[in-house]
Amino acid sequence: MREFMDYIQTAFYGATGWNRDNSYSTLNATSGALLHFTTPRGLRLTLSSLATPHFATAYQLGTIGVVDGSISYLYSTVPLDYHAVAQSDKIPLPELLRSYLPLAALEPHNRIKGARQDVLAYGRLYLPMSMLEALMVKRISPTLQVQVSAVSDQTLRNGGTVLGMVQYDEGRYGVEGLASSDGGLLGIRGLYNFGGDVAGSASPNITQEIGNGGSGPEKERIYGRFSAGGELYYGTLNKSGGMSLGTRFATLPSHKGTPLTATMTVNPLMGTLSWTYAVMAGRHCSLATNMDFNVYSYESSWSVGMELWRKKGAWIVDADINSDRSEISSEPIYPLPQRSFQAKMEWRMDDPLPLLDTPDLLLPTPAPHAAQEPATKQRTFRAKLEWRHNHEDEDEDLYSGVLKARLDHHWRMGLLWEGRIKSLLFSLGSGIDLRRPDSPFRTLGLEVQFSS
Amino acid sequence: MAFNFNWSPLAADAEFYKRAQELLTSALNKYPKPPIIVDDILVTEFNLGSVPPDLEILEIGDLAEDRFRGIFKMCYSGDAFLTLRTRVQANPLNTYLSAKPTFTSPQPLAASAGLTIPLSITLSEIKLSAFIILVFSKQKGLTLVFRNDPLESLKVSSTFDSIQFVRDYLQRTIEGQLRNLMMDELPAIIHKLSLRLWCPDQIPRDEEIVKENVENEAVVDPFANPPVEAVDSHGHVLDANDIASLSLDCGSGAQSLFSQKNMLRLAALTDSHRTLSLFTPGIRDAMFRAWAGPTERHDGGVSTPVVAPTLYRMPSTHGSSTIYTFTDTGSMDQGSLPSRPSMVHLNSATAGLTLGAGRHSRNLRKKKTRVVNLRRPKTASETNSDMGDTITDTVSVTAPISEPILPTSIPEEIEEDTILPRVPSWVRLNGDNRPTLTRAPLNMDIYNEPIITDGVPLTASDKVPSNRSERAMRGAASPRRPDFTHPEPANSDTSSVMLEQAWIMKMADEIARRVYDEKQRKEKLWEEGDDAPPPAYQPTQ
Repeated sequence: MREFMDYIQTAFYGATGWNRDNSYSTLNATSGALLHFTTPRGLRLTLSSLATPHFATAYQLGTIGVVDGSISYLYSTVPLDYHAVAQSDKIPLPELLRSYLPLAALEPHNRIKGARQDVLAYGRLYLPMSMLEALMVKRISPTLQVQVSAVSDQTLRNGGTVLGMVQYDEGRYGVEGLASSDGGLLGIRGLYNFGGDVAGSASPNITQEIGNGGSGPEKERIYGRFSAGGELYYGTLNKSGGMSLGTRFATLPSHKGTPLTATMTVNPLMGTLSWTYAVMAGRHCSLATNMDFNVYSYESSWSVGMELWRKKGAWIVDADINSDRSEISSEPIYPLPQRSFQAKMEWRMDDPLPLLDTPDLLLPTPAPHAAQEPATKQRTFRAKLEWRHNHEDEDEDLYSGVLKARLDHHWRMGLLWEGRIKSLLFSLGSGIDLRRPDSPFRTLGLEVQFSS
Repeated sequence: MAFNFNWSPLAADAEFYKRAQELLTSALNKYPKPPIIVDDILVTEFNLGSVPPDLEILEIGDLAEDRFRGIFKMCYSGDAFLTLRTRVQANPLNTYLSAKPTFTSPQPLAASAGLTIPLSITLSEIKLSAFIILVFSKQKGLTLVFRNDPLESLKVSSTFDSIQFVRDYLQRTIEGQLRNLMMDELPAIIHKLSLRLWCPDQIPRDEEIVKENVENEAVVDPFANPPVEAVDSHGHVLDANDIASLSLDCGSGAQSLFSQKNMLRLAALTDSHRTLSLFTPGIRDAMFRAWAGPTERHDGGVSTPVVAPTLYRMPSTHGSSTIYTFTDTGSMDQGSLPSRPSMVHLNSATAGLTLGAGRHSRNLRKKKTRVVNLRRPKTASETNSDMGDTITDTVSVTAPISEPILPTSIPEEIEEDTILPRVPSWVRLNGDNRPTLTRAPLNMDIYNEPIITDGVPLTASDKVPSNRSERAMRGAASPRRPDFTHPEPANSDTSSVMLEQAWIMKMADEIARRVYDEKQRKEKLWEEGDDAPPPAYQPTQ
């Protein structure tokens, strides 16, 4: 489950208009969330609260045989309550738990807020280990942000490490420079966006109209944004380095087809190629796959992951965007005449009689059922994809939970069920090793979170 | 002394290599590995080569059929080799991140993608040079400890030899790991192996010992049944390490057992032996053999095995070593106790009997007091003379040359002899029910080797009995004499036990009396004996 403090931090970025995703390090965020979500271990209880619009606290108690815990505080110069719902009984679950991240607009309408030089400070103390985490984010200008994170721990070599990062986001491109006290690591990474909305060419509306207004079978043109970037690291003390290049294609929210994200990363030094593909197969289902291949060692690996949202009350298995679209586009009461299977088989046109009968038979049954509910849902979904932040929308509370699963080439399986009971957010997860049928459950955990 | 090492048979045993590989593999994977090693380390090839190591014996602290303790200097530059196989992480960024907290991780996207490479490493041209402390006992197995860092140089060849940086890193890392292995793991491995070989024999062996005792009474060899469990002066059991340290550290531990005063006096005593002076310093807090009760007698018997170490140790060491030895024997021979009585009866006349009895009885262990074989003032004079003769022996420390078993036993016997004359009612002998009998053999010894006795008085009484027994039993006196370069009619000693007994019976009283009465005279006699032991011996008889 996403940590409350991470959620609040995201709210800070939202409040200051910083696009966290316009960075090379988040190139794989969508597939990563679907394929590498963490399953809880042991029992963990979190109490958190956004006490004032500027101040948040969280207390965590966990046990994996040994009891441990942490205390964390967060302070922000920006009021956060407008951008985040802290009450655990009202937090929109998709906001908190979603895996598939639709691309964000490159020119947020509230970017102007960034000129205020807002600051976020966060500290977390892990108690038995006496480990301290600290984070400070400062917005210098609308396009520049500085972030410093530090860890103090006895077990670390010099008692701790510090990582400083300067982020520059111009919208079309974003550059980050970082330096770590550990090993004197220096790094730079950048991302460049092109195509789609950046190019300003093909307007989505046109395609949309074509797709919707035109004949159903016509293939809709895929509309999305390309991003390419790279990263380079060099450890000045240990004289080692690393680099990678990556590219991504993701559909824009205005794309009327199936949202998808595809990435390819290359590590030329190590010869590793990696492909990921994530698709929002339905409104309640996302799928992702990943494949790695190393050209030097011929090692390869794959993994698949999915997430399935559960509606309040019942499972929705078949809620396809296609079906939605067909419903929407099915304003003409009479659907286009189609040949029946039998007719196709016989290479002839359908008989006129069945054609006349179809509306009577088909329309009453699916239409009322699917037309009303999906229509409202569709609106919400669209609204989200269209960067309208409408948490107050009742439909955000549509879901009661989400099931995430992943499987990799070692036949290790991860299962995670997250949801809400009353005002408690819970996360129940397990790691399963399918190759060991005698004791498949390697880890088991439950996290309970309450916030106010 | 020489050792014969069967190097190639060891290597020819296929099972051995298999076992050794398994043990090495488990040892290498025992500790958490650095993040760069992502797989288990497998030992795929292991060969000891054909060139055995050079061993130089620096010191032998204890030697017996089933016990051994010594220090060696080992040099090895042979053709042994070892091949390891594992997989390593070739991406430095990956290993760099693996040990860092994620909170401050730069979280690279794909730059940290792992690349695991199979790696095989061959270690060859191993050059070792080390001081090895080797302690072996049939019951506790073989313990081998390196006193210094044994690894001198080593050639590491690997898959990455062409990359200088990697090669250097591997060389460094492996040398470190290997040092660790040698110093910590290897002793454990060897100990495990040795236990496998010898542990099962442990119980049966005890029985054998008992039998031996019964059967070998005539040939009682104190060294045959050396004490297995050492005990210190307080009766606590010493483990092998303690013993080793005790004996190896020049008796640093042992010295604590002696009071400074007594040490000085003992030193004076030895000096007096060297100089043939008649002065014998009185030593307080010392229990004289003559006063010792039957229990002490046991001690004497037990101590015999220890003789060898004492000989070459400093006088101080003597005491300590003797002490523990006898307790050990006592424990070992426990089982044989029941049989002992019979033995005693048979051999009562012979010193050998006393020995056996001593061993069997455990009482010795509990005793903390050490029996020092010093005569009273009068006897002291005698001893002095004796000592003069024996000087070489007593000086034991200085004269380890003769240390070989025979000489050691000899001095003890002599002691007994000397003692007997001084104190007719000898405690040890009494323990056997027939003090007189024991005396008789002693007398014989005395006559034969009055010279040697000098050293003995200093040493714990324990040694004495054993020597005595030996002598009586097999007429070992003759061999000893040669050592002393006094060709005596030792053969006479070898006469059958019966003869000795009879003779002893007759003579015991007589001798005892004579000894007491003639102590002064004896002194002179002894002195004469120094020059020519045979003459001295003749008169007494």
